[in-house]
Amino acid sequence: MNCEVAHERIVTAVYGELADEQTHELERHVEGCAECRKEREQTLALKVLMAAYPAMEPDANLVARSRMRLEEALDALPPMRWFERLGQRLTNSFASLTAAPVAATLLLLVGAGAGSLGGYRVAENRAARTLAAQRAQAQNQPASVTTAENAAPAEISNISSIVQQPNSHLVEVRYNQVVPQKIEGSLDDPAIRQLLMLASQNSASPGVRDDSVGLLAAECRAGHGCQAEGIRDALMVALRYDRNEGVREKAMQGLEPYVAQDQRVRDAMLEALLYDSDPKIRKTAINILQPVEGDTSVRQVLNSVANSDRSPYIRTVSRQVLDRVPEIQ
Amino acid sequence: MNGPKSAEERAQARAPEMELIREAQAGSRAAFDSLVRQYEQQVLRLALHLTGSEHDAEDIYQEAFLKAYRYIGNFRFECSFYTWIYRIVTNLCLDQLRRRKTRREDHAVVVSHSGDEIDMLASVSDERSFSNPAKELERKVLGERIQTALEKLTPRERMVFELKHYQGLRLRTIGEMLSTTEETAKNTLFRATKKLRTQLAGLR
Repeated sequence: MNCEVAHERIVTAVYGELADEQTHELERHVEGCAECRKEREQTLALKVLMAAYPAMEPDANLVARSRMRLEEALDALPPMRWFERLGQRLTNSFASLTAAPVAATLLLLVGAGAGSLGGYRVAENRAARTLAAQRAQAQNQPASVTTAENAAPAEISNISSIVQQPNSHLVEVRYNQVVPQKIEGSLDDPAIRQLLMLASQNSASPGVRDDSVGLLAAECRAGHGCQAEGIRDALMVALRYDRNEGVREKAMQGLEPYVAQDQRVRDAMLEALLYDSDPKIRKTAINILQPVEGDTSVRQVLNSVANSDRSPYIRTVSRQVLDRVPEIQ
Repeated sequence: MNGPKSAEERAQARAPEMELIREAQAGSRAAFDSLVRQYEQQVLRLALHLTGSEHDAEDIYQEAFLKAYRYIGNFRFECSFYTWIYRIVTNLCLDQLRRRKTRREDHAVVVSHSGDEIDMLASVSDERSFSNPAKELERKVLGERIQTALEKLTPRERMVFELKHYQGLRLRTIGEMLSTTEETAKNTLFRATKKLRTQLAGLR
């Protein structure tokens, strides 16, 4: 190791971020190099010195003032309208889907929606005009607007408003429809995968999330192109945030093959070990992390778990793993 | 890394936080307010130390949370919410530091230093000196010198140093917040410490 590298590593080491092997190497170099010893002393001195300008906790007045100002500003904002929120949601959910087929479907849906709305309006206007012209017969004019047949192929998700025209039997009912779609294809089909990923995060039903995460995880374990399409990310999201422990466990199994090579996967696994509410998941995390237990951050987390996990069993297991580490090295 | 207590606390805090985010995304003001309460202390602490001004910190707080409110629908649970909110705050702070840097450039004062890079250890190793009231003033002066030295850093160096040294974040997280790599964050930290040492050389 030359001194230039050593100087860089000294800073990293002083801030506790140097990997163990490199720390050892650095120690050896510094022992035999007066210049680097001086460098380290000064870096440490700087660290101490900087404490003379500490980061203070903001005082309560400042917090209160800021909060009040924010609340006023938020109150003054116009509430977000439903279509803005829907737009945001759609952008969100669909951002990860391959653009073309989805955009086409969306266009189709929007077109169909606009078409039926237009038709509806025309019919409504015509009905209203007739109503004005022939007041006497007005009560016999209503029906052409929308009947149960029009709504038949799609499910009605909710009724948003009902308005009765004054002095008539005409009623305007606004409603939203859900149009069911179906797609069939191989598990390797990108479109199917995208839908599975979407299902793994957005579905309200734990059963659907469980199925989709299970399938994705099996793909990952079998090594079927788990790289490019973000399947790994979807599994990490499921592991971190899914409310159902069965789903989290499946996600974990899918990620297992990547724990050694992908730092992000390892981080997700460490988080699960530290924070997951289910002891079974925490235990599985320990097992999965065993091949990389020599890693500094893995050991830090194991240490923390060994000292503070709620479950005595987990504490024992992690301690056992830690005890074994020196032998491995 | 986290102490046992904070690990425990965060374990409990995480699940309801996800719920809060989802509710805020669905338009709930109350849920958003709860999120603000969870993070406001840290946001103010960072902004206050970086800008050294309550007024600026208040502005950053305001802008950051308004932005978060506007874009919370775009949060996709790919990173932690903590990283997401910090990314907004650090960007605003960086803008603020850049603006300030261009304003000050005209009348920048050169901090004198003897060129002899030492004494730092001698001047700070005796921590008891800080508890002595007679040294309070000296400490204040020292604080101002440090602040001046920090202002000499580029906004990015300043930010990395701040997040590492004062906020105690890991380099990997810092890289993520600043949309760069851990390696770059490490190099920036190295440059920052080097500059600070030059600036503060000969200080006693």
